[in-house]
Amino acid sequence: MSALANSAPELDISSRRWSLLAALACVVPLLLQLPPSLGLPIAAAGGLTTLLAWRKPLPAPIRLALTLLVVAAVLAVSGARLGRDTGCALLAAMLAIKPAETARLRDARSLIGFALFAPFATFLLDQGPLSLLLGLASAFGALVALQRLSDLESGDAAFAVPLRTRLRSVLHLVLIGLPVALAAFWLFPRLGAPLWGMPERALGRTGLSDTMRPNDWIDLMADDTPALRVRFFGAPPEPDQMYWRGPTMWRFDGMEWTQAALLQGLPAPATQPAQRGWDYELEVEPTERTQLVALDLPVAAPTGSTLSGDYSLRANTPLTSLTRWRLRSAAPARYQPKLPLLLRQLALQLPEGFNPRTQALARQWRTEAGKDDAAIVARALQWIRRDFAYTLDTPPWGRDAVDQFLFDSREGFCQHFSASFVVLMRGAGIPARVVTGYAGGYRNPLGDYWIVLRSDAHAWAEVWLEGRGWVRVDPTAAVAPERIYDTIADRSPGASGLLGGLGVPTWNVSDWLRRNWNDLLLGFNAERQSRLLAPFGVEKLQGRQLGLLFALAAVAALLWMVWLSARGQREADPVLRAWHRLAARYRRLGLEREAHETASEWTARVARARPELAADLRELSQRFANWRYAAPQPGMQNGRDATDLVRALRRHRPTSKQF
Amino acid sequence: MPSPSTNGAPSPNDAPASRWRRLRAAALSLTRPRTPEALPVTIDRRRVYVLPTRFGLFFAALLLGMGVGALNYNNNPALLLCLLLGGAAQASLIAAQLQLTGMSIVAIDAEPVAAGHPIALRLHAQAEPNRIRRGVRVDDDDVLATSVLNLDQGRGEADVLLPTQQRGWLAVPRLRCYTTRPLGLARAWTYVWSDTPVLVYAAPEPNGPPLPGGVGEQAQTRLHASGDDVHHLRSYRPGDARRAIAWKPSARRDALLVREYEQPLGADVVLDWNQLHGLTYEARVSRLARWVDEAERDGRRYRLHLPGQPDLGPDHGAAHRHACQRALALLPAAGGGVR
Repeated sequence: MSALANSAPELDISSRRWSLLAALACVVPLLLQLPPSLGLPIAAAGGLTTLLAWRKPLPAPIRLALTLLVVAAVLAVSGARLGRDTGCALLAAMLAIKPAETARLRDARSLIGFALFAPFATFLLDQGPLSLLLGLASAFGALVALQRLSDLESGDAAFAVPLRTRLRSVLHLVLIGLPVALAAFWLFPRLGAPLWGMPERALGRTGLSDTMRPNDWIDLMADDTPALRVRFFGAPPEPDQMYWRGPTMWRFDGMEWTQAALLQGLPAPATQPAQRGWDYELEVEPTERTQLVALDLPVAAPTGSTLSGDYSLRANTPLTSLTRWRLRSAAPARYQPKLPLLLRQLALQLPEGFNPRTQALARQWRTEAGKDDAAIVARALQWIRRDFAYTLDTPPWGRDAVDQFLFDSREGFCQHFSASFVVLMRGAGIPARVVTGYAGGYRNPLGDYWIVLRSDAHAWAEVWLEGRGWVRVDPTAAVAPERIYDTIADRSPGASGLLGGLGVPTWNVSDWLRRNWNDLLLGFNAERQSRLLAPFGVEKLQGRQLGLLFALAAVAALLWMVWLSARGQREADPVLRAWHRLAARYRRLGLEREAHETASEWTARVARARPELAADLRELSQRFANWRYAAPQPGMQNGRDATDLVRALRRHRPTSKQF
Repeated sequence: MPSPSTNGAPSPNDAPASRWRRLRAAALSLTRPRTPEALPVTIDRRRVYVLPTRFGLFFAALLLGMGVGALNYNNNPALLLCLLLGGAAQASLIAAQLQLTGMSIVAIDAEPVAAGHPIALRLHAQAEPNRIRRGVRVDDDDVLATSVLNLDQGRGEADVLLPTQQRGWLAVPRLRCYTTRPLGLARAWTYVWSDTPVLVYAAPEPNGPPLPGGVGEQAQTRLHASGDDVHHLRSYRPGDARRAIAWKPSARRDALLVREYEQPLGADVVLDWNQLHGLTYEARVSRLARWVDEAERDGRRYRLHLPGQPDLGPDHGAAHRHACQRALALLPAAGGGVR
C-alpha cells in the first residue's frame, strides 16, 4: 500500500456505520424543526437510500435522478417559495441521499463535513435549549466518527478501541479546546449590525399580521407559545391597561383591513402624556417581521426601530432572532387632539356598497345623537354588551360581513367586534381605526416577569373624539372581559394540559428556565459584549480594546491548551510522583537520575559530585526505598508514613554550587 | 490524504511539474534534519511539522462559513457550535504534534537483499509510555509499502519496503514519520535521516552455468567417513549406498540402519574471480553471487577468491555466505583498479 493508494481506502463496516450514525444524529434536530410535510418524506428518503446503498453505492445515473427528484419534491412541498426553511429542507434532503455514494474514506469525510452544517441550519430555525443540546451532541458524534476515520486512514483501524476509550479521547479534545472556544465566544468582537440580512422563513409560524382578515387569526389564537416577555422597572400597569399596540389598520375594502402606507413616513404626532408611565424591557421572540409592539404609546422609538405616524413601532430589520428593546411608555391624556384633514378622511373611509344595514343604522344613530360622538360610542358598546356573545367558533364571512355579524349571528371574537365597531363608527361619521396587538399578560411568579402569549393576540378599536383625540375602545371587552383581563386566573398557560394541577408550576419553571437561557446565551450581542467589564468599572469596551482582550485571552487559552495536552499522564502514586520530581530537580545541576540508576546508585553519584548535598538525599532515598521495597512493619501506619515522605520529598531543594 | 509525489525521473518537458519539484526540494532543504544524522535521535518539537490535510482545509472553510454566518445573524448557538468544533480541531492539531514529539528513533536496519529485490528497512522507535502513540506511518517518496508504527509499552517497529537497484551500500533515504490522528484534520510529520547505510548484495545471475567442479584431492562426492561428525541413524531405504550402512548398530537393532550426516560433504568449490574470462566486470560479480548462493544451497564448502583480497573460506554456513556476499557487494565499481 503506497502513500498514494492510501488516499482513499475503502470504508470498513464499522467506520461506515459510525459515519452514517453521525450524519443521522446531525440531521435529526433539523428534521424536528422542519414542518412534518417536509421532515417525514426527507427522513423516509434518507432511510431508504441508506438501505439501498448499504452493500454498494448506487450507480451514478440513479444518484443523479435521486438528487433531481428530491430537490423537485422539496420545492413542490414548500410551494417553491425560497426561504430559510426551504434552504434547510434542501440541505437535509441532500444529506439524506448522500449515503448513496458513501463507499470510501473521502466520501465519509465529506458526508460528515456537510452534515455538520445541519446543526448550524437548525440554529437558524430554532435556538431553543433542546436544539442546542441535540446539535452539540451530534457535533460530538461527528468528531467521534472523524476519529474513527482517521484510525482507518492510519491503517490501524483493525486495532479495536473500546467505545468508552474512543468517547473519552474525543471528549478530552473537546475539553482541551473549550478554553479557547469560550474565550472566543465571550470576547470575539460581535457585529453591531449584520453584513447581510437573514432570509425569511417561507413557511413561518403565525405572528401579528400586517393585514387583518376576519377568520385568519384562528391559528394565532390557538398558539400558546410566548410572543413577548416583559420586565417592568417599577410598578407594572393594571391588567386592564395592558394593551400592547401593534399595527394599526386604516383601510377597509369590504373584506380585508390594511395599514395606511402614508403613515409609515410620518412622524409620531404630538400627544399629551398622562402622569403615569412605565419603564420596561421587551424580549421579543423571533417573528420574521419588522412589526414590534409597545405598551400603549411609547415615548420614543428605541435604537434600531422607528415610530410611524400612528405610533406603530417597527424594527429596522426583520426580527429573525430574539431581540430586546428597552422602552418607556405612557398612557396619553390627549392623543393627537387635532386630526389633519387627510387622516380624518382616511379614518372615515368605507368601501362603496358594502354593509347597507350597518350604514343605515349608523346614520339613524347619528341623527338621534346629534353632535355627541361619545353618546354614539356608548350606545354601540351598550348594544354589544347586551346582545352579543363571544366565540371562536364562527362561520366564514360573506360579502356584507359586518351586516351579518351585527344583525344575524351576533357572535364572534375580537376581529369581528373591532372591525364591525369601526365600520359602525365610520358610518356615523366618527373617525375610527382598528388596532391589532396583544392584550393582557401573565405574570410568572418565578423571576417576576410578564409573559404575553401568541394567543393573547387581540384587535380593538380607536375612535377620535373632539377634544380628547384618539380614545381606545375595546368592544370585545364589553362582551367578554375575561378574555382580556382575567388571564391570570383562568387562562394560565399549562392549566389545561395533561399535567392538571401541576401544569401551571411546570410551565412556570420551564418558561423561567427558557428566559434565563435567552438571557444568558441568546441575548448576548455586541451591546451586551461591550458592557462585559462593567462590573470591573469599565463601562463600555471599544472595538479595539475588545479585540486586544480577545487576542490576550486567546493566546492564554492556547498556551493552556498546549500545557493541558502535553502534560501527559500523571503518575498515579503521589510518592513516586514526588520522587520523580525530586530527581528532575537535579537536572539543573547536571545530576539528574538516569533511567537505569537505582535510588542508591544515583545517591552515591550525587554524593561523589556534591558531598554537601549527600546527607539529606541519602536519608530521603533510604526512606523512599524502604517505603517502596521494605516489608511493612507492624505498628507503623503506612498511609501516614507516605504523607510525611511526600512532604519531605517535596521540600528537598538542591542548591546550586556557590563559589 | 495523498502526499505530493515526485515518483519517476524528472523530464525536461514537464515544466510545471519540474518547477513544483524544485520548489518542493527547496522547501525540503529547509526542514530538519538538513543532513543525515547518527541514530538514535529524539524527536523534539522543533522538527515536527504540522500542516492541515485537504480535509482539514475543507473543515476550516466550513467553520469559517459557519462562524461568519453565526456572527452576522448574531446566532449564539451556531457560534458556540462553530467555536467548540474549532477548539476541538485546534486541540487535535496539538495532539497530532504530541504523537511524534518525545519519540526516539533508535535505529534503522535491514536484512541485506540482492539488488533488484525490495529491501525491508526496519525502523525501531521508543518513547516514554506516557501517551498513547498509535498509527504513526513511516514512508518516503519511493517506498513500495509501509507498515504502521505503534508504540505500545514504549517501543515499536515499522517496516518500510524500498526498491534497490545496485549492489553496495545503500544510503537510507530521508524517511518521513507522519500521523493524521486524532481527527484527520492535520498531518504532523517529522523526518528521520539515518547516516548508517544498509547493504545491498549483488544481484545473482538469473540463468547461469552450474557450479564449477570441485578441486583438490577429494574430487568425488562422497559421504564423510569421519566418526566425529554429528550424524544420526535412520532406517535403510532402497538405493542407499552400501558404505553408508552402519553395520554395528544394525546388528544390535536387527534392522538395517544408515548413517546420515547433517550435511553431505563435497569437494571444496573454488569460486575464483580470475577464472571467469570473457565476462564483463558486473557479470562476474553476479555470477559469483549466484554461485555462492548455489554452493550454500547444495551444502558444499566453497572458497571465494576475489582480486586484491585474501581468500574467503573454504567454509560454509550462513556467516560465510554473508561474508562472501558482502565482499562481492562491496567490490569497487568497474574501472576502480580491478581488471
